[in-house]
Amino acid sequence: MALQQVSDRLVLAVPSKGRLMEQTAGIFAKAGLELRKVGNARGYRGEIVGMPNVEVAFVSASEIAHYLKSGRAHLGVTGEDLIREQMSDWETRVEFLKPLGFGNADVVVAVPQSWIDVRVIADLDEISVAFREQHGRWFRIATKYMNLTRRFLSARGLTDFRIIESLGATEGTPAAGTADFIVDITTTGETLRANGLKVLEDGIILRSQANLVASRVAPWAPRVREAENEILARLEA
Amino acid sequence: MVAETAKKFEALEAQAQRVMAVFIKAGHEAVAPAIIQPAGIFLDVIGETLRARTYVFTDPEGDELCLRPDLTVPTCRLHMERHADPSTKGKYCYNGAAFRFQPAGSPSAHPREFRQAGIEAFGGTDREKSEAQAVVTLVDAMKAAGLSTWKLKIGDLGLFRAILEAADMPARWRRRLMHQFWRPQAFRTELQRLTTLAVDVRRDVPKSLLLELDPDRPVDAEKAVARHLDERGIETLGTRGLSEITESLLSIVEDARTQPLSTETANLLQCYVGVVAPARAAGARIRDILRDQKIDISAALESYHRRLQLLADGGIDIGKADFEAEFGRTLEYYTGFVFEIVTPGLGPQSPVAGGGRYDTLMRQCGAASDVPAVGGAIHTERLLAAISGDV
Repeated sequence: MALQQVSDRLVLAVPSKGRLMEQTAGIFAKAGLELRKVGNARGYRGEIVGMPNVEVAFVSASEIAHYLKSGRAHLGVTGEDLIREQMSDWETRVEFLKPLGFGNADVVVAVPQSWIDVRVIADLDEISVAFREQHGRWFRIATKYMNLTRRFLSARGLTDFRIIESLGATEGTPAAGTADFIVDITTTGETLRANGLKVLEDGIILRSQANLVASRVAPWAPRVREAENEILARLEA
Repeated sequence: MVAETAKKFEALEAQAQRVMAVFIKAGHEAVAPAIIQPAGIFLDVIGETLRARTYVFTDPEGDELCLRPDLTVPTCRLHMERHADPSTKGKYCYNGAAFRFQPAGSPSAHPREFRQAGIEAFGGTDREKSEAQAVVTLVDAMKAAGLSTWKLKIGDLGLFRAILEAADMPARWRRRLMHQFWRPQAFRTELQRLTTLAVDVRRDVPKSLLLELDPDRPVDAEKAVARHLDERGIETLGTRGLSEITESLLSIVEDARTQPLSTETANLLQCYVGVVAPARAAGARIRDILRDQKIDISAALESYHRRLQLLADGGIDIGKADFEAEFGRTLEYYTGFVFEIVTPGLGPQSPVAGGGRYDTLMRQCGAASDVPAVGGAIHTERLLAAISGDV
């Protein structure tokens, strides 16, 4: 850990592309904070116009939580779902400063519509014994939210299941037979319905949206704190 | 960051030699099962609670593997590799590393990498004798290593199963209560539900459909369910087919038609689950609870007392042992007798040894039928700490 230099510059991590980047830039611009890339337009470094002590890092949306967790960024714009999924001890590592009103999505438990004998989580536990007798194994649940799923279901007494990690097209796994049901993100429920799935009545794990999040483990030099206060003041104004 | 290097390597090795010598003298063959195991067996069998604590990884060919979270399943697999007939008798012992994730800030008695020294005995036909032997052998080994102060805690799922068998209720209720036994809250809820049965209206099923379903006419029932789904444009997709869903609905109907569980029986079960007593007095306490309900479990109680006697014959001071009906095990694969050895310094949350009977595990690992199996393991770092007073 030699040569650890406490920087005076605040690092702000924002999504590097797509709608999330546009919406982030839009919210900041409305507050008079213009995000701008430095040098090459395809590059990943930027600044806030007029704030020399802020460095903007354009980072893949899924990586921002890691930046905050490790303290590489002081502030970041990311979904609550990703923070809660990627940090078991998120309360000690980060602080949610401000919901930003976009990137809304629910993380939900969804089962095939044909499971008319299942409406709430407790029903799953009830049929799990018969399911195991029939199939010789516990339920398989496809999701990319392995930790959120495990914590949510365990807290409701459902512990006999296996999570199958799924990084894409999760809603298709029950029909394909690779999972029995899923935990996935949804905004309108349209995709779930189109795939013959329904959300359980008490199956909403998290109503997520994009947040401005501060890292508690990043080195907060006094000048960095000043920059944070200024950004917050403008966003609140 | 937790220091994970095996500290006190020489002391642990010396201790392991003393422990293993006792195991081998008691007729156990020393084996070294594989450290890297297929993850599926652990995850499909034991469930997701263990996964949260198991290091799972994918190898270059995409197969899901894990670092063994204990040595019992690996030893079962080793036995099955050796014997086409898994009910062949076999007695094994081992001393090796096991791995479990521990959240940041866990006490030092819960390292993520630790060494287990243990025994497993498969195919033993005298149940109480093999159970008592397992405890005696483990205790002898720990004494040989230098342990002087400890306490034995026991539980017995056989008693609970016997009470369920003797109580008047349908078989599927027994299965459910057995399943919920480990979860106090869910167990209470289930009991409550069974004492106040009514057609469950929470389901996505109109009452009219439920009224149409007759458990005595399953074929018609399936047709009715198919029609219901069809009318709503719902496709049956995935692993649970039409007949499985119909069966599940029929059991709801059947529950509604069955006389609810009597509150007396529910109270009795709840009462039993709460029993905590000195091991010798527990039998009488349980008999008292059951007396009014005319529930007879004398065979199970006889095994309980015979086991205690065999433990005493083996040199265990059972006057100091405690019985707990709701013995909280972290791994759900135990099926009968369970035990833990606790020391005053480390406390009940960090037992130095534990084990029990797990007759269904071999089948869950792929055997054609259940195989009698008893075993137990010593947490060797904890044993060393308890002996050296370094806790």
